[in-house]
Amino acid sequence: MDKQPHMRDDEVLMRVRDLKKHFQVSAGFFGQNPKFLKAVDGVDLDIRRGETLGLVGESGCGKSTLARTLIRLYSPTDGVIEFNGADLAKLKEKDLAPHRRDIQMIFQDPYASLNGRMNVRDLIAEPLEIAGIGDDKSRTARVHELLEVVGLNKDHANRFPHEFSGGQRQRIGIARAIALNPQLVICDEAISALDVSIQAQVVNMLEDLQKELGLTYLFITHDLSMVKHISDRIGVMYLGKLVEIAPNNALYDDPKHPYTRALLASIPIADPVEARKDNQDQMQGEIPSPIDMPSGCRFRTRCPLATDLCAAEEPELKELADNHKVACHYAE
Amino acid sequence: MTDIHVTVPKEKWAPVDRGAQDAEFIAAPSLTYWQDVRQRMWRNKPAMASLAFIILLILAAIFGPMLTHHTYYDQDLKLSNIPPIFEVYKTEPTDASAQYMFLNSGNFKLYEVAENGEILGLVRAKRKDLMKKQHIYVFGDAEVRVDYSQLPATLVDGDGNAIESIGYRWNQTNWFGTDSLGRDVLVRQLYGARISLTVAFVAAMVNFFIGVFYGGIAGYFGGNVDNVMMRIVEIIATIPLTLYVILMMVVFQSGFLSIIIAIGSVFWVDMARIVRGQMLSLKNQDYVAAAKTMGASTKRILTRHLLPNTMGPILVTLTLLIPSAIFIESFMSFIGLGVSVPMASWGTLTAEAVETLRAYPHQLFFPAAAISLTMFAFNFLGDGLRDALDPRLRK
Repeated sequence: MDKQPHMRDDEVLMRVRDLKKHFQVSAGFFGQNPKFLKAVDGVDLDIRRGETLGLVGESGCGKSTLARTLIRLYSPTDGVIEFNGADLAKLKEKDLAPHRRDIQMIFQDPYASLNGRMNVRDLIAEPLEIAGIGDDKSRTARVHELLEVVGLNKDHANRFPHEFSGGQRQRIGIARAIALNPQLVICDEAISALDVSIQAQVVNMLEDLQKELGLTYLFITHDLSMVKHISDRIGVMYLGKLVEIAPNNALYDDPKHPYTRALLASIPIADPVEARKDNQDQMQGEIPSPIDMPSGCRFRTRCPLATDLCAAEEPELKELADNHKVACHYAE
Repeated sequence: MTDIHVTVPKEKWAPVDRGAQDAEFIAAPSLTYWQDVRQRMWRNKPAMASLAFIILLILAAIFGPMLTHHTYYDQDLKLSNIPPIFEVYKTEPTDASAQYMFLNSGNFKLYEVAENGEILGLVRAKRKDLMKKQHIYVFGDAEVRVDYSQLPATLVDGDGNAIESIGYRWNQTNWFGTDSLGRDVLVRQLYGARISLTVAFVAAMVNFFIGVFYGGIAGYFGGNVDNVMMRIVEIIATIPLTLYVILMMVVFQSGFLSIIIAIGSVFWVDMARIVRGQMLSLKNQDYVAAAKTMGASTKRILTRHLLPNTMGPILVTLTLLIPSAIFIESFMSFIGLGVSVPMASWGTLTAEAVETLRAYPHQLFFPAAAISLTMFAFNFLGDGLRDALDPRLRK
């Protein structure tokens, strides 16, 4: 079942170092003691060319903020995003333009991500138009081609998004994202809003496109079974930090971080005998507020292994096995 | 059950072509956006009727005054306060040709008319019997008396018998009648339409350009830009319009110019607020984020994504502001702050008509009808446009 990496190529496409994105939530009295929501708080990540990197985590852990910062919808507070020899984190909007076409995004909600006032032809042609590729006629031809690629047909070009089902809309969003032959496609919960049967279709199509076009995916989701199916490597995020990152099989077979174990334990089990067994890895409590973060290790408030060391010192992301990095004092 | 083996010869197999598979999808022909808008607009009967009315009004306002010898300032006191429809009476003297006439029951004057309703002139009374409250007119050997001892006044012959009328006639000389100074109401009405439509046009343009631009900028950039811009809007919005027009009149003399400037400089704030509110909610939509990831410029995002999606509320606001601008102008003219005499606007016509409301209620009918019908038409048109421009309402 589990997928093998398409390429054994270890070339890093995007290198992220200590990336931070803080939002100011209150200015305080006359600007004193402003409070910050640390949505992304020091993420190190390498995205390799041709791979699918899954990113999982609870709601509010900063997955989407990370995605939107990587694609520079948000300006990072601090850190480095190395891509094609440039540091995207430092570039001004106008200097970003040449890199824009190489990173594209597929959005979660196919109803909100397509402008209802534009027909399908204009929606898919828009990235081409902005990049100044071709004339009107050749763009239309390209749109027809892309529609075939994503399993629609060219008669759909004059229609409006509201005339399509959710799955078809997501296909339109995918056609738009791949129109410019990007190197990296960020799928931000791209299938979460779809029916399960449609999810499988769309995921299979994404895999086919990856093979054909040599795409690299950053696949963000909270659906652990889907991420297992599609990813080569999986990163686990908790409160704005990466706590574990490992190849697909390694993470599922040998999770090292207590949070990862808790996440995996939360997958419903179809076997009632297995399900009834008391599971020690189950988490307690709620995710702490990203405005008032716990000291030391962020997970210690909910961690069954927590000690004084965890409160005093924040664990670093260390490589424990081949390609398997974990941020926990007690991981072995 | 026996197995049935059917062998289909190889040459009978052929791949299904894609078009056939999708035939069920291609139920309706694909239309472009504007074809679609036109179709939906056409189907909306009230909106189309309103559009026809507005076009007719515009054409009449531009060309109407050129087609008649009446002017808005020509007075003829002999023919004042003539109604548009009157009852015609006939008298047949034996020694002269038949006479047609009508009695203006408001001022007890008798007018000579042609049989079709054309007004030929005022008839002078031979004698006035103030004791009996009668005016006596003589046509050849026939005598006609206007008896106003009892109201409404009636027309009687020499023996005191009421004269039978030959029916109602439409005033052929002045279709809408004349006012208290004998000026043609229809022509004055058309000049009034010019003024009202000018005001509507100016209000619409100013609203659209300043309001949409200002609100769009404030909403899109948000933060401190928004704060400063919206405080300015609030300051402008707090100045009472009437006071503003009066102050303007001190500077510009002309009432009309003051009204235009006042409406132009104040009316866009509502539009700015609505556009800003829309922008604030729309700019966080995913499709705007998608456009940004493609590297779309701010201008492109505003003009291709945000403004088209704001079009519905903009049009609705616009079509509500146009009639209210027309109304403000009429109101200002009504209370005497509008155009100066002898120029006419619907407001001044209404004001003049109110003075003679008891005697000649018909004078109020036409300007009032013009104001209300125009406001109705703009409202219906706005609703129709909003529905037509929204592809989500396509059936």
